[in-house]
Amino acid sequence: MPAYLHPTTLAEAFESLGEGTETRYLAGGTDLIVQLRDGFIAPDALMDVKALPELQGIKTTEEALEIGAAASCGQLLASEHVGYGCTVLKQAASTLANSLLRNRATLIGNLCNASPGADMAPASLVLQGVLTTVSPGGGRTIELRDFFTGVKKHVLEPNELVTKISFPLTKGRGIYLKKRRIHGHDLAQVGVAGFHDTDGSFRLALGAVATTPLLLDDFGRLSTTELASQREEIVAEAVGAAKPISDIRASKEYRLAMVRLFTERIVDAFANETEVQR
Amino acid sequence: MSEYHADSQEFRYIGKPVKRNDGPEKVSGTAQYAGDIVLSGMLHARLLTSPYAHARILSIDTCAAEALPGVRAVITGEHGSVKVGIYMQDKSVIATDTVRYQGEIVAAVAADTVEIAREAVSLIKVDYEPLEVLNDVRKAVEPDAMLLHPHLGTYAHSVGVFFPEPGSNIANHTRIRRGNLEEGFKQADLILENSFEQNQVLHVPLETHVTLVQWGVDDQIKIWSSGQSPFSVRDLFSIAFGIPRANIEVNIPFVGGGFGGKAGIHLEPLVALLSKAAGGRPVKLEPTREEECQTLPCRQGQVARIKTGCTRDGKIVAEQVEILWDAGAYADYGVNIGRASATSACGPYHIPNICVDAKTVYTNHLYGTAYRGFGHPEVFFAVERQRDLMARELGMDPTEFRLKNLLYPGDETITGELITENTGSPDKCLKRAIELIDAQTPYTEAEKEQMAATGKLRGKAAAVLQKAPAMPTWSASSALVQMNEDGSVRISVSGVDYGQGTYTILRQIAAERLKMPIEDVYINKSVITPLSPYDWQTVASRMTSICGMAVMEACDDLIKQIREIGAIALRAAAHEVEFDNAEVYVRQNPQYRIAFGKIAMGYIYENGNAVGGPLIGRGKAIAQGLSNLDEHTGQGKAALDWTYGAHAVEIEVELATGDIEVLQMATVIDAGRVMNEQLLHGQIVGGALQGLGCTFSEVLLHDDQGRLLTRNFTDYKIPTFKDMPRKMYTDVVETPQLDGPYGARGAGEHPLISVTSTVANALANATGLEFYDLPLSAWRVWTKLQEQQQKQQEVQE
Amino acid sequence: MTTKSLHLTVNGEVYDAFVSENATLLTFLRDVLGLTGTKEGCGAGECGACTVILNGLPVNSCMVLALECEGAEVRTIESEYQNGELSNLQQAFIEYNAFQCGFCTPGMIMSARALLEANPHPSRDDIREAMEGNLCRCTGYDSIIAAIESVGVSAS
Repeated sequence: MPAYLHPTTLAEAFESLGEGTETRYLAGGTDLIVQLRDGFIAPDALMDVKALPELQGIKTTEEALEIGAAASCGQLLASEHVGYGCTVLKQAASTLANSLLRNRATLIGNLCNASPGADMAPASLVLQGVLTTVSPGGGRTIELRDFFTGVKKHVLEPNELVTKISFPLTKGRGIYLKKRRIHGHDLAQVGVAGFHDTDGSFRLALGAVATTPLLLDDFGRLSTTELASQREEIVAEAVGAAKPISDIRASKEYRLAMVRLFTERIVDAFANETEVQR
Repeated sequence: MSEYHADSQEFRYIGKPVKRNDGPEKVSGTAQYAGDIVLSGMLHARLLTSPYAHARILSIDTCAAEALPGVRAVITGEHGSVKVGIYMQDKSVIATDTVRYQGEIVAAVAADTVEIAREAVSLIKVDYEPLEVLNDVRKAVEPDAMLLHPHLGTYAHSVGVFFPEPGSNIANHTRIRRGNLEEGFKQADLILENSFEQNQVLHVPLETHVTLVQWGVDDQIKIWSSGQSPFSVRDLFSIAFGIPRANIEVNIPFVGGGFGGKAGIHLEPLVALLSKAAGGRPVKLEPTREEECQTLPCRQGQVARIKTGCTRDGKIVAEQVEILWDAGAYADYGVNIGRASATSACGPYHIPNICVDAKTVYTNHLYGTAYRGFGHPEVFFAVERQRDLMARELGMDPTEFRLKNLLYPGDETITGELITENTGSPDKCLKRAIELIDAQTPYTEAEKEQMAATGKLRGKAAAVLQKAPAMPTWSASSALVQMNEDGSVRISVSGVDYGQGTYTILRQIAAERLKMPIEDVYINKSVITPLSPYDWQTVASRMTSICGMAVMEACDDLIKQIREIGAIALRAAAHEVEFDNAEVYVRQNPQYRIAFGKIAMGYIYENGNAVGGPLIGRGKAIAQGLSNLDEHTGQGKAALDWTYGAHAVEIEVELATGDIEVLQMATVIDAGRVMNEQLLHGQIVGGALQGLGCTFSEVLLHDDQGRLLTRNFTDYKIPTFKDMPRKMYTDVVETPQLDGPYGARGAGEHPLISVTSTVANALANATGLEFYDLPLSAWRVWTKLQEQQQKQQEVQE
Repeated sequence: MTTKSLHLTVNGEVYDAFVSENATLLTFLRDVLGLTGTKEGCGAGECGACTVILNGLPVNSCMVLALECEGAEVRTIESEYQNGELSNLQQAFIEYNAFQCGFCTPGMIMSARALLEANPHPSRDDIREAMEGNLCRCTGYDSIIAAIESVGVSAS
């Protein structure tokens, strides 16, 4: 049975990390507690990081929207700071699990779980999120695009702790579309996020169609007219990038078709400046 | 509601909006379920289950588990080899030499805490020799198929009711023969043959099969169980262990959902053996959701082949049906589902020449058991799809085709039962369901244009359903109605009300019969076998009808006693004594009344003399007139009563995604007599949504090694608040059942039947896609749409 | 097994307890405090039978460790029945036949309570959205929506 640690300062947190023992950071816990229950993980300690000051809150600075690692998806959905272009985060969060779990689940926990279908990943990728971490030896920033390395794998070192994610402030427009088996709580069969910035830059991100969430951002700057005229190329790039598998949730072909469809819908909505078809 | 309601003005409580009586405890969280019970000295159990779908158990080493501090008992197949079952005793309490499904119990531990028990389970070492897996019911019936139960011929079963075929994987083969099939097909202008396939599905009660047992000194057994069948548990436990029934006390507290999955006997013998091994300490087992999905039984899978012959004018003249039931590893309950499904295999239609073969077949899948509808939701997917497919071949409107072939008074069912004016009216149900959503009106050109423009195609369809209670010919209920000192009464039955509203209906019946305020009519809300009167099982939608009749008889018995003691107290002849409002009086002198309270425990004269004694009414009811079906022809009386019904739906299919939205749905049931509209509405809406779950998302999937892939709610998706139809209409037809209480018949299971076929028919009408299997998930619909498009392109080229 | 101290308020009462480090809030409520109205349906945050209100928000108590609730304020179904009276929601659930087996009901009521506190007049769509995490296998949900809606309407 793992020990429960509940530090209130980072110093205390790092002091209590045991030599040669495995400690897992506990934020929302909605993935971690299930994994513990099912015996998939058996760490020596769980460190509840929700009281650490560095992980708190959702705020906007002059350049960025910052979401702390302790902030739940429910807080994100209610936050006035998450506005303009960043509302795509709200679209994604509103599809994550169900309203009860969203009161515990955190955006950063969802990312750190590194599931290929993580609902918050595509939206966070198109918004060019940057993670800030701390570890006993210091800390660093990691661009989210460099974060995922495989199914349930990421670049964090053991004991490295993500404190927040920052999104450059933008007034662009983002859309997240998710396909699931039922209308209610379900994992994504496919998730597609799109973003069209005020400077014309256009980005797409795909979930549940490869071993990691995928970011496609080499489209350059596109006007709405160019988006319309390059629709087929964009769609082809998205479909080409997706490498889905067939499993009990959907076939490879269906996932590819949904990537195509959602990309089309997103491009159309940006090009025509209309509501996206859901 | 509609003109289909019979006038019920003459009743005080029948058909009246009486609230259920288990409300306060359920809404306050004080209702006690099995898992809420804590006994002193209680131990906690955990299970070790097989990771293989088929394997030989070479050895089990429990030493390390037993050595763990806090472990009080570890048992394996060595201790649990006794076979327990209701219809076909083919399953031992714990797997002995062979495991036949993934999730089968191999060992169990009782320990001081759940954590210790869990750790002990992880210390048990089992050596398996994996065996070839039989995971297709069609392969299982091939002549050279591997035998999963080589000793089938030795299994105890109800002889003359079930017909196992030793030397095969067929645990039961029910045959129905009527007319001359060959001649029938000769008369046909059109013959259509189709195969339909459905995977297994899960019941998903929110409360798992929680079980608590104490095997006390002198073999005194106490069981608390989340079950539907207190007396069947007692009966089957007694038979298996040779312990007198009087030694076995079965307690059924509040039950968190059953849907058939808690009928018969389940974990009680296992937990009892753990308790015995732990020196008689009480042991509680609370299965996890994963165990509920993988270890506890499911609804069977089905492959059905139907060949139908029709004349050009749309009269069905012959039908051949072969049903292969995927019983999974064990067929204890499955054999009876096979039998019941055969009796309904052609639906509520009059067909002169019939050949039905229903086979319950072993595979290495999770084993099946009773599930709301008892084989009918599966059969009616096939039958009601086949009716639409046939109508299309004939170029006839499917409703007209159905109406032409439905059973009407004077017709006989496929087992030779005469349909009378009182049997019920599938035709009226069908017409009403269609009317409720305007299902016959074709779409206008403008609507069609809009559909084409949006890529969202709409379609409507309707289908009928039927079911009779499927139960042994001797299944019976009894009831006690005892008067309390204050003149109120208390009903005791052993039917379990796990939400369907049985206890409320029984109170309504008693209050009506006794002409007393319903507030003064109580009912025991839990069942304890030594104290509660016998009832076979809470299954088959038989509570309102059979238990209801027992309560009526108990009330009549009580009335007789009220009259007797009333006559003494009133100094009148018994036939002159009337009663009302919990008072007795002489008919010709209604002003002078004696309250029930004055006669409840005996009448006391002014000088202290007393006569009479406590008033206790006793009633019973048995399924009257049922007979075993002939082994070769299946002819006989299979049904106590038939409840008919119909659904109509309108759906919208998004071509781009394959998503189906249910725009509106109407369900109409011929309930005979509506006892309580709100409760019936609750049964219909709940059943219909469960049916939509089976239509769109609920399916058990196995890999090629027979391992379950849909192990919990992550991948077994039942409908949520967001998955309801946009509009849901319910209505009833009332064709009174002559032998039902106030004309009522059962309606608990029926709303789930034919939902799948109705939606699949609507999908065909919307898109031209013909589905012969389930579920109609967006992904599968989209895939078929692509195939359709490809074919159309090929044709054009 | 190691235990740690826990100080929290449950249904207005202050508790100081020692709990196992891996105990969930659900097991603490049921096994330590004996508040068995809160049910376990799946243990994985998928069914909502264990819903309680934690610091004003509805959560799956099976997905929260008891020790995470240090200093917290927890409300369970047992808080709804006050001074011998069923709450408005409880009465509405009875009125609308919004339960059958009753196993999901405590969680349903707590989710609905949290919804009504945040949004006193929820629309049917608001209700569907907020209650999505609470599964009911018996009712088909429509009666539950009607019950919650009626409380919202009568609060006006």
